[in-house]
Amino acid sequence: MLMMLIAGIAVLAFISASAMFLIWWERKVSAHIQSRFGPMRVGWHGVLQPIADAVKLLLKEDIRPAEADKLVWWLAPFFAVVPPVMAFAAIPFGKSLIPKDLNVGILYIMAISSVCVIGIFMAGWGSNNKYSLLGGMRSAAQIVSYEIPMILSMITVVMHANSLSMQKIVEAQSRHWNILHPNMLLAALVYTIAATAEVNRAPFDIPEAESELVAGFHTEYSGMKFAMFFIGEYTNLFIIAAISTTLFFGGWHGPFLPPVVWFLSKTYLCIFIWMWVRWTFPRARVDQLMAFAWKVLTPIAFVNLAITGWLLLK
Amino acid sequence: MNTSQTKDICTEEFLINMGPQHPSTHGVLSLELKLDGEMIRDCTAHIGYLHRSMEKLAENRTYTQFIPYTDRLDYVASMNNNMGYVMAVEKLLNLEISDRAKYIRVIAAELNRIASHLIAIGTFAQDLGAFATPLFYCFREREKIIDIFDQICGNRLTYNYMRIGGVQFDLPKGIDEKIKKFIKYMRSKVDDYDWLLTYNTIFLARSKHIGLLPKDLAINYSVSGPNLRASGVKWDLRKDEPYLVYEKLEFDIPVGENGDSWDRYKVRLEEIRQSLKIVEQALGALPEGDPTVKIGRIHKPSPSEIYLRTENPRGELGFFIISDGSAYPYRLKIRSPSFSNLAVLPELVKGLKIADIVCILGSLDILMGETDR
Amino acid sequence: MVIIKIIKLSKDLVIGAWSLIKGLVITLKNCFIPAITLQYPAQKQPMTDRFRGLVDLHPEKCIICYQCVKICPVACLAIAHKQENNKKVISEFKYNMELCCFCGMCQQVCPTSAIYMNKIYEISVYDRDKTHINLLNPGKYIEWLNTSIK
Repeated sequence: MLMMLIAGIAVLAFISASAMFLIWWERKVSAHIQSRFGPMRVGWHGVLQPIADAVKLLLKEDIRPAEADKLVWWLAPFFAVVPPVMAFAAIPFGKSLIPKDLNVGILYIMAISSVCVIGIFMAGWGSNNKYSLLGGMRSAAQIVSYEIPMILSMITVVMHANSLSMQKIVEAQSRHWNILHPNMLLAALVYTIAATAEVNRAPFDIPEAESELVAGFHTEYSGMKFAMFFIGEYTNLFIIAAISTTLFFGGWHGPFLPPVVWFLSKTYLCIFIWMWVRWTFPRARVDQLMAFAWKVLTPIAFVNLAITGWLLLK
Repeated sequence: MNTSQTKDICTEEFLINMGPQHPSTHGVLSLELKLDGEMIRDCTAHIGYLHRSMEKLAENRTYTQFIPYTDRLDYVASMNNNMGYVMAVEKLLNLEISDRAKYIRVIAAELNRIASHLIAIGTFAQDLGAFATPLFYCFREREKIIDIFDQICGNRLTYNYMRIGGVQFDLPKGIDEKIKKFIKYMRSKVDDYDWLLTYNTIFLARSKHIGLLPKDLAINYSVSGPNLRASGVKWDLRKDEPYLVYEKLEFDIPVGENGDSWDRYKVRLEEIRQSLKIVEQALGALPEGDPTVKIGRIHKPSPSEIYLRTENPRGELGFFIISDGSAYPYRLKIRSPSFSNLAVLPELVKGLKIADIVCILGSLDILMGETDR
Repeated sequence: MVIIKIIKLSKDLVIGAWSLIKGLVITLKNCFIPAITLQYPAQKQPMTDRFRGLVDLHPEKCIICYQCVKICPVACLAIAHKQENNKKVISEFKYNMELCCFCGMCQQVCPTSAIYMNKIYEISVYDRDKTHINLLNPGKYIEWLNTSIK
């Protein structure tokens, strides 16, 4: 019981530290891509900037639109932030460093992180703002369609490892990483694209589409409620990067260094790629996004699944 | 599916006010959109939020005093506006200007055309959701032009450089080296844009075949500038009604094929290349002489009417001046290109998605300072 | 037919992916270009020789010809003079910085270069009264020169 409590506190501390680091890092990456400096004033190269931002957001007035659906509007930020935190329960940081090694780990993570869409949809509906409503609708459509190729690409890994448990999947990669198989490479690509859509990041950030819907579902949120969405987004980013590390890049396996270091460096490298992509590409349109999911990604994922099955049975 | 069935499942239309405070309406433009889900059924543009009654102000200013006001018409291409107005007054007064002044005007106008097109491209990419990166690149390149202008005339946005009968200052020493360096730098950067934007598959998917503006529709709405040329009409006042020294310079007029958003973008990108060519030639052929002119506080033209049009980065900028013989114009009418270019917007957006209206608006490159005047 | 379609689709996909990779390479290259922005209050861009800042005056050079007042398009200058020993003496030279559009025409029209524009560009003030500047006061711009953000 005490161990559980300590693990919980450690995970929560890690989540907030990681989210803050990611916010700072994203700002730095974007700044350097755009030949700027980014935050430079608070602390060394602005490392304390997220803390300053958090203080600012805490002190801000919490504005509620007069016509908002009170309860839904109030609950939405929690739905956005709680599922990604819960997903940490099955993320393997090291050989025994996992909050709880569920035997259905990957299924659990997928199921939990799908709840996020409800938070976004609630925010869109509860704000009683037309832009937000459009954002919420887009988000629902997008996440539902991208979950299918995402799960199909995960199943290829599960078929290799013969288990749904995250630790077993990592152990199955003790000799060589999954990414080295050609069919796994394809699965990793499908997963990367689908996961980008899953966490609403550019080029698939249509729910918040800044230039069309102002800020989409979180237009009306201010102060700490907005910060909740922000933390939720970055925690989600960490989760999908951690999953891709576990599934395709050998998890915590690696020579010389301790497993945690390997796991975190791989994860943050994956995150860097997501950031790099975000600051490079234009946004896709909503119908193109759906067409891409159903006409390209899903068939590829199915074919890949069939090939994997055939390779395993051979 | 027959019509009675579709009627049953028809959803309710809803009205959305896009702007005047919206990140991608390029200033204070308000669009009243009738939406069916994401689909646009109807669009009405409401303008006038930036109305400063420029034309009335002109009636209470002398011809010289109105020059700074032209800076604020199209504030990303002040040089071109200055030049258009000053040339109209010169035509009214029958003034001849020195050759060097003509060349300097061409250099300034073309550099400003590049700066303006850079903003157009950058904001277009931003509207398509390329998170500020192309915008920052475009502004980085534009900054070099602004530095050049800063040296030439002492200001960074509202230049007020042209004078009736010449220009305010001669080019400072060492500026030609700087411009030549910029031309070389800019050429390499334009090639970068080709891969960052032009042939990027998402960019193509977003802008190809979106907002098709057919040739005859463009002419009927008197669309001008890059927007008209993108529709396949080879009409450029610099070639068709050459003014200053444009007939002595060699350049092409890029023309689009379909008149979609991508073509409009591409025409602008090509125009940057052509403008670089023009600046290079004009700098090489710069004659000696004195381009400056003593500022004339009062000009009294004989009673007459003139209309003069020049090629602005956004299209055809015309000044119609009626003089009654006094020091003040009796009437000054400004034909601004953005106003006509914006008028065609409702024709283009019907039946498209809400994301497309942003794309089309960005590709039309309208500027509210000029639309409302 | 279907096979041709699939081949065409996969060709498009490969070309599309290639274009995306090219874009990524460009942004990565820009990552290693040093930042071009300035750390503003610490680093400041030098102003050029012709820069047009606030309007300033050499009172001893002024011949009270009223040219600057007449050319100013926004009427932000106001002069008054008095007669002393049969000589015009300048008694008031007011400059309303709020109205000024920094066109620099007063500077160009002045026959003795008495009126000119200085290099001050950080011109915000907290008090509206401070935008009405008496140009005859020799210490009028000390505040702007000293209190710019440190």
